[in-house]
Amino acid sequence: MFDPAAGQGQPGEGPLGAAGEWRNAALPETENRYPPGDLAIWVFILAELAVFGLFFASYAFTRMQHVALFNQYQLTLDRTSALINTVALLTSSYFVVRAVQAIKSNDTQLCQRWLWAAIAMAALFIAVKGHEFAHHFAAGINLSTNTFYMFYLSLTFFHFMHVVMGMVILTAIALKARKGGYSASEHTGVETGASYWHMVDMVWLILFPLVYVMR
Amino acid sequence: MADPVSTGVCDAMSENTPTISVKFASGIYVLLVSLTLVTWFVGRSSLQGLPLSMLVLVIALFKAQMVGDYFMQLKPLQGMWRWVVSLWLLIPGSLIAIAFYLS
Repeated sequence: MFDPAAGQGQPGEGPLGAAGEWRNAALPETENRYPPGDLAIWVFILAELAVFGLFFASYAFTRMQHVALFNQYQLTLDRTSALINTVALLTSSYFVVRAVQAIKSNDTQLCQRWLWAAIAMAALFIAVKGHEFAHHFAAGINLSTNTFYMFYLSLTFFHFMHVVMGMVILTAIALKARKGGYSASEHTGVETGASYWHMVDMVWLILFPLVYVMR
Repeated sequence: MADPVSTGVCDAMSENTPTISVKFASGIYVLLVSLTLVTWFVGRSSLQGLPLSMLVLVIALFKAQMVGDYFMQLKPLQGMWRWVVSLWLLIPGSLIAIAFYLS
C-alpha cells in the first residue's frame, strides 16, 4: 500500500543501495488504477499527445520528400538554445516533482517555493525561445519560407503556447498554495497541474532531437 | 471560488498516488540532463546518418519514458493508464524511425 512517508527519503539512505531498496525508493507498490490528478486533465493530455504525435509523424514523412532541404535548413537552427531549453524544461519538471513531494508532506511553503522555481525555469524557456523566434522573423523567415520552416515554426510555436498555458496553470496553483489551499490530504490540484507540465516537458524531449538533431 | 486547476471530476481517484523518493527523482533528473548533453553533442558534431539518428531517437524515447514512469508517476499503476505514455511513444517513435529509414 501507499506509504505517505515514501516521498521524504530516509536519513542515511544510500542513493543506490540494494536493487530492491532502490526500486522501493523509486515508487512504492500501489493498487491504484488511476494516474495522479484529475481525470479531466488526463483526457486533455491524451488529446494533446495524439496531436503532437501526428505532427511528429507528419514532419518525418514530409522530410522523406525533401531530405536535402530539411538537412540544409536544420543547420540554421541554434542547437545551443535548444539545449538550454531542454535543460530548462527538465529542471522545471524536476522542481514540480519536488513541489508534489512537499505538499504530500504537508509543507505548503516549500511546495510554493518549488512551484515558483519551476515557473522561473519555464520563463527561461519562453525567453530563449522568444529570442529564437525574433531572430528568425528578423531574418524574414516565416511559415511560407519553405517546408522545413513551415514545420519548424508551427511545431515549436504550438509547443511554445503549451508552455505559456502551463505557466498560467502553475501560477494559479502556486497562488492557491500561498493561501494554504492545498494540504497533504487535499492536493489533487497540484498533481493535476504537475501532470500537464510533465506532458509539456515530455513532448519537447521528442521535438528537440527530431527537429534540431536527427538528419 | 472554484479551484482553477482541479475541477473535482475525479478528485478522489489519486488519494493513493505513490510518491517517488527525493533521491531517486534527483537521480532521474541527472540522468535525463546527461542524456540531453549526449544528444546535443551528436547534433554539434559533423557526424550524421541513420545509425546516429536512431541512437538519438532511442535516447529521446527512453527519456520520455522516464518522465512518464517516474515524474508522471505512471509506473506503479495497474491497468491501461500504466501504458499510456509507452503506447504514445511506440506509435510516433515507430513512424519516425520508418520515415528516416526510408529517406
